[in-house]
Amino acid sequence: MKPAPFDYVRPASIDEACTILSEAGGGATVIAGGQTLVPLLNLRMSQPFVLVDIGAIPELRGVDRVVGGIRVGPMTRQADALEDQLLAQHLPAFVRALSHVGHHQTRNRGTIGGSVALGEPAAEMPATAVALGAEIEIASIRGTRRVPAEAFYLGPYMTVLEPDELVTGIIYPDWPQGHLVVFQELAQRPGDFALVGMVGALVIEGGLIQRVGLSWFGMGPTPMKMRRVEAELQGKAPDALDLKSLSRLAVSDAAPFDDHHASAEYRRTVGGRMFTRSIGDALALGEVA
Amino acid sequence: MSEQTLIPSAGSGAARWIGKRVERKEDARLLTGRGQYTDDVVLPGMLHVAFARSTIAHGRITRVETSVAAELPGVHAIYTARELAAQPITMMSFFFTPSEVPITPLAGELVQYVGDPVVMVIAETRAIAEDAVSLIEIDYEELSPVVTIADAMAAAPIHPGTETNVASEIGDEEPEEDLAQALQGAHCLLTQEVVHQRISQAPMENRAILATREGPEELTLYITCQSPHNIARWVSLALGLPQTAIRVIAKDVGGSFGLKNTPWKEECAVICAAMLFGRPLKWTEDRYEALTASNQCREAQMRLSAALDANGRLVASHAVYDCNNGAYPQGADNNIAVHMFLWAAYKMPAYAFLSRGWYTNTNGLAAYRGPWAMESLIRETLLDKAARRLGIDPVEIRRRNLVYLKDQPAVSCMGIPVDDITPGECLEKLVAHFDFAAFRKEQAQAREQSRYLGVGIAAYIEPTGSAGSMVTMTGELAQVRIEPTGRVTAMMSTHSQGHGTATTMAQCIADRLGVAYDDVTVFEGDSSRGGFGPGAAGSRQGVIGGGAAIRASEMLADKVRVLAAHLFNASPESVSIEDGIVHIAGAPEMSRPLGEIANIAYAEPDRLPPGFEAGLEAQFRYQPPPMTLTSAAHLCVVEVDTDTGFVKILRWISSEDCGTVINPGVVEGQISGGLAQAIGMVLLEEMPYDARGNPTAATFKDYLLPAISDVPVFEFIHANTPSKTIGGMRGVGEGGAIIGPPTLVNAIADALSPFGEIEKLVLPLTPARILDIVEQRDVSGFGASHSEMATAPVADAVQEPEAPPPMPENSQEQSAAEARSIDGDWNMVLKTPMGPQPMVVTFATDGAGGVSGMFSSAEGSQAFDGGRLDAGRVRFDLKVEKPMKITLKYDLLIEGDIVSGKCKMGMFGSAKVTGQRA
Amino acid sequence: MSEYRVEMKVNGRRVAEAVEARTSLGDFLRLKLGYTGVHMGCEHGVCGACTIMVDGRAVRSCLMLAVQAEGSEVLTVEGLADAQDALHPAQDAMRKAHGLQCGFCTPGVVMTLASLCADRRCDEQSMVAAMSGHICRCTGYQGIRRAITMLAAEVGSAGSDT
Repeated sequence: MKPAPFDYVRPASIDEACTILSEAGGGATVIAGGQTLVPLLNLRMSQPFVLVDIGAIPELRGVDRVVGGIRVGPMTRQADALEDQLLAQHLPAFVRALSHVGHHQTRNRGTIGGSVALGEPAAEMPATAVALGAEIEIASIRGTRRVPAEAFYLGPYMTVLEPDELVTGIIYPDWPQGHLVVFQELAQRPGDFALVGMVGALVIEGGLIQRVGLSWFGMGPTPMKMRRVEAELQGKAPDALDLKSLSRLAVSDAAPFDDHHASAEYRRTVGGRMFTRSIGDALALGEVA
Repeated sequence: MSEQTLIPSAGSGAARWIGKRVERKEDARLLTGRGQYTDDVVLPGMLHVAFARSTIAHGRITRVETSVAAELPGVHAIYTARELAAQPITMMSFFFTPSEVPITPLAGELVQYVGDPVVMVIAETRAIAEDAVSLIEIDYEELSPVVTIADAMAAAPIHPGTETNVASEIGDEEPEEDLAQALQGAHCLLTQEVVHQRISQAPMENRAILATREGPEELTLYITCQSPHNIARWVSLALGLPQTAIRVIAKDVGGSFGLKNTPWKEECAVICAAMLFGRPLKWTEDRYEALTASNQCREAQMRLSAALDANGRLVASHAVYDCNNGAYPQGADNNIAVHMFLWAAYKMPAYAFLSRGWYTNTNGLAAYRGPWAMESLIRETLLDKAARRLGIDPVEIRRRNLVYLKDQPAVSCMGIPVDDITPGECLEKLVAHFDFAAFRKEQAQAREQSRYLGVGIAAYIEPTGSAGSMVTMTGELAQVRIEPTGRVTAMMSTHSQGHGTATTMAQCIADRLGVAYDDVTVFEGDSSRGGFGPGAAGSRQGVIGGGAAIRASEMLADKVRVLAAHLFNASPESVSIEDGIVHIAGAPEMSRPLGEIANIAYAEPDRLPPGFEAGLEAQFRYQPPPMTLTSAAHLCVVEVDTDTGFVKILRWISSEDCGTVINPGVVEGQISGGLAQAIGMVLLEEMPYDARGNPTAATFKDYLLPAISDVPVFEFIHANTPSKTIGGMRGVGEGGAIIGPPTLVNAIADALSPFGEIEKLVLPLTPARILDIVEQRDVSGFGASHSEMATAPVADAVQEPEAPPPMPENSQEQSAAEARSIDGDWNMVLKTPMGPQPMVVTFATDGAGGVSGMFSSAEGSQAFDGGRLDAGRVRFDLKVEKPMKITLKYDLLIEGDIVSGKCKMGMFGSAKVTGQRA
Repeated sequence: MSEYRVEMKVNGRRVAEAVEARTSLGDFLRLKLGYTGVHMGCEHGVCGACTIMVDGRAVRSCLMLAVQAEGSEVLTVEGLADAQDALHPAQDAMRKAHGLQCGFCTPGVVMTLASLCADRRCDEQSMVAAMSGHICRCTGYQGIRRAITMLAAEVGSAGSDT
């Protein structure tokens, strides 16, 4: 389990990184925290010619208040994000989800951008970005663009990111103070990818659900946004909800599959119950930001 | 927690070390990174090995192209099976019997599993070796893979020259008439089915070897293993080299659990290549290789029927067991021990079985902690089912059937003498520690809130400390010395892969010699040190090594007494040794440090008593009883989340009788480790194969080992009674992995009993499979693909000798012409549970249908008479004494120069015989 | 193959070496520097045996390239205790609690515990949670739990002094 040989560069700026990626013509791979990439390198499932380490680019690191939201630099270590006051205050769902990512030791190296950009369908951070309506900021020598998280993921480990592109930020829109946090995950052991998970947020104002963002993870080839459920919840009074039928709708927003750890039928069955439980809990307990 | 001490000390009033929870000798070194595992060893000129492996499960190699790889800078050599054959090696089972099917370290013509090594690269670094492997091209003509036991039953044999995929078989398919009647006529007939998944032993240190040929007949191996001595013996036999030429070193080993009993394909390839290439070669298995290409274990299915009377008393039983041997098992195995111990602790009047191992295109079968553990799993889960069926309490049904001390001595239905077991007594102590009535109340209340609690119990016995009945299993040797400095050193034939034998053996020595634990150092882990011993295999080191250490220390203490008595003009009885000081009773002024006495013993021959051998050294090889039985009863409490199928273990109590406890910390550590592995087997671990024979859990992301969150705090009741061995120990290495699974399954089944029975126990009980039971539908998707347990067609099950193999025309003519005498020598092979046993049988007929003759094998010769010959069928009885007294009933069919048939081995059932005229 | 020059501090000692980009920090520490207490158990970041400290944080040395450690302070199990033959409190607790058997996973376990001991906020629960990042195949985690209980008490009492 030794990687195939590769060259290594550590650019000091986004421009430099983008130039390298462009010149590599698809032969370059970006390494951030490396907690998922290095195993792939070791197994020779990934064999880049050049590894572009973005760890020395200062502007890719950190959590900042921006107009209408919070911008998380992709090189922000997961452990640092867990301790971040801005995130704790404004995006509690993000922090809840993040605490389930990997283990203490991998969170010390792993980054938010790495997790978001990789697109593991059973991982917490891609689903969180989808649920909360984040936008992925992408740069290349051709310019920059912003892609809604929902449109970013194409399939397992497949995203709209072109080989010459670099994720330079994830922008999470503001959710008002007092919004409700939804998070539940079933994994066989702590740190494992989810068998079934859901994450999101609800805003109740004036006795009605004014805003909602929910996504499954481990329930399809990508994070699965609960579009129909979101539409159904919008504008409803919490105590008028039929959670049972909503849970069926939620499951129909997913596309679970059989794998080594659980069957699609298991995921559907338990997913429905998880939906009922977590929405019920969120509304009843009123866990608020 | 009781920390009883059960044997008197050598020095009166001396500090007791046996029974103390002392800190381990090994730990300061291992905690600071000063361990020496095989991959840590670096030798000058050392090169690294990587393998190109088969990517298909079954096929014929049509082309191997290595020329590009050979040109890669840093590559020193590339070997295929053809080049490596220049150093022949005979790969053997753990019992030193040659494999039943030919095995070469590298695949030559056929690949038989995904991961089968085909080409070996030797290079400057492991990374370069892997680079070269990626440049090797291998083409195959693919053959259809035989993956499951069901496949093996239906498919043509995977190994050329064999008739079926049966690797090993023993027993009788149909119960005899009496048994069948007892089963059918009983008040209650229950059947339990278990489908046990394949497990990866997964020691944290993967396999590794560093082989260096020092000269024409010197070979040094650093290898992660279970006994350096046993590896030296195995390699010596395999290579046909005198044993003295082979030195095996394994100072620290990162776990083994049965996997590292003998070197296997990769290690043998490295050994052969080191013999041919002349530079030190290292191969360290990586985790991908370990999970996909290493030997594995446990995959088996069993159907057990048991009849009970209206009072819940056992009446009769029958079982069929099949296990997947893979392509190249470390000894073709039908796992007869399952049947030997299935009912050994229970009053079961009658039992018969059929047991088979099957070859498939998967990784070979190797041992794993309690390889026969299926017996406890299926019996104890069946008993709980029976209890529910009959409305008897699970504790009560065991009380009615277990063999208590008051029932002993007894003989089990398999002929095993049972006279020193306490499973019932362990159960009583366990029950006394748990308030069942309170729990049942809590359980009922919880159910009203849709919370499902369950309690499970299980009891068992286990053979440990095996010696003398199998060629591999010898006694153990202790050599203890009081150095002239006063320090005590010992060389032991024991070996630790985490067992802490340097600690427990030092405790035995300190205790019996009367010195401080800190003053004793135990050396092991090098076959050039200390006497021969098979080390860790079958929970034996504490029993046998401990006994050897105790007796050698007592002998040495006696020697000190004789010398001190002589020096101080006292009687040996008045001499005592306490904490390293030699005292004379009533004469405190004569007390002397042991070192002072030792100095005299080594350096001042004039002061020694007449006939006294200079020095203070003693050695003792302990040959214990052939086996020592350990007993236990366990209990656990679970809560099952019936919404998700997740199981939470709330409590676990072990009540075990492992005889004298040398170190409670070590004993509890062994049990705990086994229980964690049990939890893994029941809830998490599985090595699945797809239909093409690809192992699909290639990383620890997919092969789920228990983490700290999966394992509860274990509680211990040490319900010990000393065994009949020196020191009174009983083995404790495997028990947790044997008794753990039924304990946990029973708790889950109890929790789920409002929903129904676990009709067929399919492991692991994943959350999805739990929901299958809760919802009584196929949530897991397993039901659809595996509706029935594989069963062999009758014709395949037992190869009856009635259909002789086809013979060439002329030989048929010949036999017809002669109708001929069977007189003369025949080469035959008897397939015993310990491997094939070759022998020469000489027949002499008397012309009137009478047959007498002689059996000769490596173990000796034995005559028989009174046999009968009738139309080519020869029947005779042979009474043997080893490994136990038993009458072997041969029933053979002779067709020309070919002989085939079976040999009924008493309660073990029938074994196959094949052969031809010499 | 491209070699790179890296400089870092390992167990308090300055190190400057040439290394291939593909060499993991774990292999670098083992093979180039001889810190064989760094154990490679899975090389894909799950088992935790190779855990070391980089700039005070417990990380997997199999998931980090040596070139990425440029300028870092690296601590392995060999450098944990103050002096030869001394034990760090995490090592001492593991020894007292029979927290190990074969010892292969142990250096990683110890490094995680030691890194957490340095964090005054760390309690027993968070130490157990962090321990889910280590696989021990021998002990069933019983001794590791006991060691954690001992350590958490020490960390707690040290915290209350200030």
